[in-house]
Amino acid sequence: MWSYTFRRVLMTIPTLLLVITVCYLMLHATPGGPFDGERKVSAAVMANLQAKYHLDLPLWQQYLYYLKSLLQGDLGASFRYADWSVNDLVAKALPVSLTIGGGSLLISVLIGVLLGTVAALRQNSIVDYFVMLLGNVGSAFPSFVIGPVLILVFAIWLGWMPAGGWDGFDVRYMILPMALLTFINVSTIGRVMRGSLIEVLNSNFIRTARAKGLPLRTIVVRHALKPALLPVVSVIGPLAISSITSAVVTESVFSLPGLGKLIVNGASNRDYTLVLGLVVLVTVVAVLLNLLVDLAYALLDPKIRY
Amino acid sequence: MTHKTALRMVAASVALALAGVSGAALAAKVPAGVQLSPKQELVRNNGSETETLDPAIAESVGANNLTRDLFEGLTATDADGKVVPGVAETWKQKDPTTWVFNLRKNAKWSDGTPVTADDFVYGWQRFLDPKTASPYASTYGTFVLNGLEVAEGKKKPAELGIKALDKYTLEVKTPYPVAFLPDVVSNLNLGPVPKAAVEKYGKDWTKPGKMVSNGAFVLKDWQVNSKVVLEKNPQYWDAKNVQLTRVTYLPVEDGYADVKLFQSGENDWVYQLPPGTYDKYKAEFPKDIRNAPMLGLRYYSFNNKDPLLKDVRVRKALSMVIDRDILAKKITADGQVPAYGVIVRGTSGADVTTYDWASWPMAKRVEEARKLLAAAGVKPGTKIKFTYNTSEYHKKMAIFAASEWKTKLGLDTQLENMEFKVLLKKRHDGDFQIARNGWVADYNDATTFLTLVQCKSDQNDNFNCNPKAEELIKQGNASQDAAKRKQLLTQAAKLVMEDYPMLPLLQYTVPRLVKSYVGGYSLKNPMDRYRSKDLYIIKH
Repeated sequence: MWSYTFRRVLMTIPTLLLVITVCYLMLHATPGGPFDGERKVSAAVMANLQAKYHLDLPLWQQYLYYLKSLLQGDLGASFRYADWSVNDLVAKALPVSLTIGGGSLLISVLIGVLLGTVAALRQNSIVDYFVMLLGNVGSAFPSFVIGPVLILVFAIWLGWMPAGGWDGFDVRYMILPMALLTFINVSTIGRVMRGSLIEVLNSNFIRTARAKGLPLRTIVVRHALKPALLPVVSVIGPLAISSITSAVVTESVFSLPGLGKLIVNGASNRDYTLVLGLVVLVTVVAVLLNLLVDLAYALLDPKIRY
Repeated sequence: MTHKTALRMVAASVALALAGVSGAALAAKVPAGVQLSPKQELVRNNGSETETLDPAIAESVGANNLTRDLFEGLTATDADGKVVPGVAETWKQKDPTTWVFNLRKNAKWSDGTPVTADDFVYGWQRFLDPKTASPYASTYGTFVLNGLEVAEGKKKPAELGIKALDKYTLEVKTPYPVAFLPDVVSNLNLGPVPKAAVEKYGKDWTKPGKMVSNGAFVLKDWQVNSKVVLEKNPQYWDAKNVQLTRVTYLPVEDGYADVKLFQSGENDWVYQLPPGTYDKYKAEFPKDIRNAPMLGLRYYSFNNKDPLLKDVRVRKALSMVIDRDILAKKITADGQVPAYGVIVRGTSGADVTTYDWASWPMAKRVEEARKLLAAAGVKPGTKIKFTYNTSEYHKKMAIFAASEWKTKLGLDTQLENMEFKVLLKKRHDGDFQIARNGWVADYNDATTFLTLVQCKSDQNDNFNCNPKAEELIKQGNASQDAAKRKQLLTQAAKLVMEDYPMLPLLQYTVPRLVKSYVGGYSLKNPMDRYRSKDLYIIKH
């Protein structure tokens, strides 16, 4: 398993290089540059700005320059936020996104698996209908509808929570955005868990276990849960990426200083270094999560060996 | 839309300059009878995360709101947009191109050291130094002797037309008479900079704990994309007239999120209402709604080089048939004022110009426009292309314009929307027929608007040129007689607009919600520049 892990980590390097190169070229091919504004700057000022950020060099030189600083762990200077480096900006946004996205994902897995299991065991019961309803509502209503409703009820009508913003790591500011992300994630995880467990419970080896006279509890915990979790583990990878690195809507609705907002603003401002830095980050996170998911398969399914 | 900065009231400033004003403190005057709240703290949304807190490179409205609170220039503008003394107590135009500013001796940096003429010399030289690469270098550099040459790297910063005659006397030379210089220097790009802090901390000098500033407030905390917190500066020379003890700037971009924060009491100041919600919020918050025209123009650029639009008759016809009254009252419905010229109401240095046909009944305008099109050989069914950046607001206006051109002239408009940066590129490259455009004044003088239609101006997206108007502007700027200058610039504005280089539509307003207990907010502030120094919290 260790050599497998090592090989996978090694594979990250060409993946990253490819992603950076493609992204780099796409950014530079997009019309409009970082210093274009409603007010056009004079030719002299444009030249000064380009020289300051090395944009006056030929593209391949800029690219090599970027790779070189990347190897030294430097993501470069932001073109838009002049007082900060991309490292600064990422270092400030990442903890926020990890707390909101990662925290809500953990809670969602616990609640989702629990609800999905209960629903599968009590098919067509009230709990089952509730889980199905939750699943459908969560999939049907976009977060830009649910978010403002949460704000209206809990911040404006009841006044229990702030309507948005962020203050250090004050818990009050985390509750509503985490509730929103959790709701959406639980709806997916619960639905997948329910379907998967029902399928497993109908398989031959479970029938054998029942025939042996094992109590339901033992059957579920010891035999059914592990294989039923496989599809759940598969969806956790993409859910984690969307909750942590690209929760753009949630961040916008609750005015959070997270990664999603940074990447969207970076792209519309043509802040090349910021976008590239975030793409590097998202790629690394995605590759690592996929690796974790693959390793988790081996734990859950004895047939899978690396 | 970088509405930034400075200048106002040319006539007033000229008068002040000639008289050599005395520098009485003119801040946060709380009217008699108003009871102040014991808690003087304000939360104002700033629309987006500031790109910097370094006054030399500040460009956006938001960044300038912050640097205006943190720093103070030679002059400042108050809540009504009037030029008032800043660090300079008095000033005088010694000859047409030389100004002398006398600095107050009690102005201090937040670390207690005095603000001296050298701090301004350093600040200006640093602002125009090509290494600083300030986006505004040419906008303001043009008003200082050798300013443009320094920005272009052709002359050394030391050759800039600014000199410390002694510790508290500053001499500024301009390349030509700039009557509104006291207004220009209220802008913080031209403010003082603490050399010691910049040299000690480099790029990090703008961070909390490191920044040294000379304004009414000091930097307490800066959480990127979350908030910037300022606190009252006890070292500020006019601290006794500063009421607020703490100002928190939020970077909320989403208009609806902004209003929700306002409703839940976490924000006292909505940056700008979401498009199309003015009437709704006006009814909902009658005490808090604030809306006033500002120095900004919404217009459409005609590409004067386009084969179809190079004919002035076509441009004129397209302009004539747009009913600005309906556009203002029914389509945008946010209190904006119809515009028929390049100069908007409230601008100093030139009068608002209009077209003869603006007062005609619409039927007559349409009839005339059709004749013009026929004479130009443009048949009904001809296709025109309109380009705008994706936004509900611009879309509504574009659909209205297209329907006016279709129903009144029979022209088929193809609407093409795109990302903002792509539109900018197309507009600057001349790759369009008609494109959405907008301008917010940098300073209160007609010249800021005239740059939109001047030959070879960086801001001219229409690619038009009227040499006669150009000559009038030149003559006007050379004139020292304010009345004569105004007459010449007005004449120039009228003349160039007779070429129909662009299609003026509306004068901007800034509809926003500000809690009724926020005092000192004036509706007569044409540049929409509110120093927190002038604001206070009324007991509520």
